[in-house]
Amino acid sequence: MKVQEVMTPKVETIAPSNTAKEAARKMHDLHIGSLPVVDGDQLVGIITDRDICVRVTATGRDATMTRVKEVMGKAVETCFEDQDINDAAKRMIDHHIRRLVVLNRDNGISGFLSVDNIASKSHELASSILEATIPIH
Amino acid sequence: MKVQELMTTHVESIKPDLYLRAAARKMKELGVGALPVIDGDRVLGIITDRDLACFAIAMGHDLNSDPVSKVMTREVITCKADQDIDEAARIMIEHHIRRLLVLDNNKGVAGFFSLDDLVRGSRELAGAVLEAATPVH
Repeated sequence: MKVQEVMTPKVETIAPSNTAKEAARKMHDLHIGSLPVVDGDQLVGIITDRDICVRVTATGRDATMTRVKEVMGKAVETCFEDQDINDAAKRMIDHHIRRLVVLNRDNGISGFLSVDNIASKSHELASSILEATIPIH
Repeated sequence: MKVQELMTTHVESIKPDLYLRAAARKMKELGVGALPVIDGDRVLGIITDRDLACFAIAMGHDLNSDPVSKVMTREVITCKADQDIDEAARIMIEHHIRRLLVLDNNKGVAGFFSLDDLVRGSRELAGAVLEAATPVH
């Protein structure tokens, strides 16, 4: 089965020059926990609700002055939409993560693939990913 | 298998009048994503890293003077330490969540029981919880 058959398509993105507050607002309004950071059409990072909690709320930075690029994660793991979900799952397991940005073959963003998406097809594969990642309670 | 065999014990808690910034700092230092909010020995709610990003920042709360009680979730879904894990899993599935606060027989906090704990007891149940959970991308 291909990644594109189970992924969440139509991913919202944010620009590196947007503020942390704008990112938090977008995550709040869209009920999501992460946003790929895109500069023009290039994927440059990913920002999560936890990044905002520990790097903005906890630190005393002004959320209206702090840019997304200052607090985002720069290492973004990806897979391709036409890859097999087993390969994508292996990538999550190897990197101890639960989410990949899905690219098309032109390197444009085509979706998100999370362990949740994989659980809808295989509980076994999803559990292997859960076991390989470091839990945050 | 019982919840108490797999749950995370020694859970830290937080007081409802703690400021949002201090709560976020505590979560960062402890490396956790959720804390029960406790007044005396009464559980008032739960606060998560997501609350401290999406609500605290997005809604423009004053991080140095607004208390945890303003953004915490008051409806806390719980299970008991001596419940079977399949009952706990059913509670998670019904509520579309991935984490339960575990109470002892005196309604005190005994720990957290999360998807990450569950997967060590049953991969099948963990997969079912994940499939039912509200996806957070």
